[in-house]
Amino acid sequence: MPAVKAKPGRPKKSAAPKRAAPRASLADALGQAAWAEADSALAEALALCDEAISGATDVDQAALLDLLSQSLARAARKRGFTRLGALGAKEAFDRKRHDFTNPPKRTPKTVRIVARGVARAGETLVKTRVGPVRRTGKK
Amino acid sequence: MSAWTLCVDFGTAYSKAAAAPRNAWSRFDPASVRPLMIGGVQETGNAFLLESAVFVDDDRILFGRAAMARAEEAGRKRMALRSFKTLLSVSDLDRALNTSAPASVDPHRIFQMRDLIVLYLAYLLSAVDAAAAYDPMVRDATSIERRYAAPAWRSGDSAGMHQSIVRLFGEAETLRHAVGDQILEPEGISIQAVSDLLPKAMAEPAPYEMGLIFEATAAAAYTSIGLPDSGAHLIVVDMGAGTTDIAALARSGARLSELPEARVTLKQAGDFIDSVIANIVLANSRWAKTQAQQTELWRAVQRHMRDIKEAVFEEGRATLRHEGKVISVQMRDIERDRDFKEFMKGLASAYQFGLEVLRDDVMARGRTEIQAIAVGGGAAAPFIRELIKKTKARGNTRVTARPATPDWAHAREFRGNLAPVFPQLAISIGGALAPEQMLAAQGGINPRADAQT
Repeated sequence: MPAVKAKPGRPKKSAAPKRAAPRASLADALGQAAWAEADSALAEALALCDEAISGATDVDQAALLDLLSQSLARAARKRGFTRLGALGAKEAFDRKRHDFTNPPKRTPKTVRIVARGVARAGETLVKTRVGPVRRTGKK
Repeated sequence: MSAWTLCVDFGTAYSKAAAAPRNAWSRFDPASVRPLMIGGVQETGNAFLLESAVFVDDDRILFGRAAMARAEEAGRKRMALRSFKTLLSVSDLDRALNTSAPASVDPHRIFQMRDLIVLYLAYLLSAVDAAAAYDPMVRDATSIERRYAAPAWRSGDSAGMHQSIVRLFGEAETLRHAVGDQILEPEGISIQAVSDLLPKAMAEPAPYEMGLIFEATAAAAYTSIGLPDSGAHLIVVDMGAGTTDIAALARSGARLSELPEARVTLKQAGDFIDSVIANIVLANSRWAKTQAQQTELWRAVQRHMRDIKEAVFEEGRATLRHEGKVISVQMRDIERDRDFKEFMKGLASAYQFGLEVLRDDVMARGRTEIQAIAVGGGAAAPFIRELIKKTKARGNTRVTARPATPDWAHAREFRGNLAPVFPQLAISIGGALAPEQMLAAQGGINPRADAQT
């Protein structure tokens, strides 16, 4: 297919994108775009935090926590965060991946996930938080 | 690298554009994929997304985010024209274009849909040009081949429809040069200027060359690029707003052809899921007893639908606050819905059918694998992910579900910043990466040359 010749020269100033820094790399610009999407979710989370702390609201704490968790999860998704593990799941303890919420005297072989870890772009930002596997009482 | 390909995707809500070197298919380097900041001409928001919207105001035409903001201020009786993609993919395009815009869109009753589309395309082309000139790699291009992505035409007359669309682009090209950069400003352009310049642009469209790439093919391109000897057979589930399409594609070298007998289009898609969710919310809100309360709640749910769906799909539940009440909707509520179950039955059977048609081709060519991809807004839905992950083909043919975001989008160069926005930009990127042999139609208009012959 015949190609359209690109026009030489730079665009007029008014037509240039208005918000990017002049030497911003594509990766930075994409990062800014992700932040633009995450900003409103974070702002909502902050407002919900205030409501939960002040207690001066008709909505109960459990529902507020749901809403807060939803807003934070949305902000995290927009920024490309991933969660590591599943809440309540049992895993073989791995010092590189796990942190104890309350370090035990003896390191157990198997642990239970108390809080999922958080990663972004292959880098672990917060390790998965774990606790001991509680024995179920056998009679 | 000086020869580039640039693909525009007019999504229902946002337009996107991306560029790639013309030899990207044979020498793929993720770092050379360039999503363009076409939304950078707007003051706020995501710089890679341009709102697909035109608003006819008292004496001016507004575009993009300014159009949406003004439509919101103007109240319920006025609206911006959106969904250009839906309009451009109807089977009787000429008739759709020659329809007068409704009074809610054009209170002056002077514009046809065609006029407003040409106006929007003029805005889009200006934004694309500004973004391409801003990109340090694309601006040095010696030539740029242009494409647009579209759903497969229902009428099957790709070439005929393509010619009509390219003419619209040609008219838009003339118009934007006549209007200048003013079209990118938030205050838009005056109706008086449009009345003067639009008829001339329509009478004298600029010569314009473009290629058409089907969305399913673009998805196949970004999924299979860079994979050694794979992606020979692909099944694509594309759940958009209005339809869910299943397409089977067979690749031979750089050529990718569709197996038309496998194509199935279901009329239930994102909008259908929206109404299932809204009905669940209403059913879970017994306090909303009056018609007015229910209507208000319905509107609130629709306003937040994108976030609600995202939370339900990713976390299994969403919580919504409306007038002091907190309402939850869970994925299992959706799965229990009778209409949803029917939809899933139809989808599963259509998908299985597509898979079997593809399997026959796999067998005939002595291959053993099918790649399954989900694209569109529904790609994140757990029921779509399950469908492509768990459905098997008969015999020894292996079905491998590919991730919605390809591995190369996680390349180190992007520092984790492409993957989160990839689903939104995917079709434009795939359209730019695809080799010429994957195009559904190509060519253009050259009215001046036609006039001389």
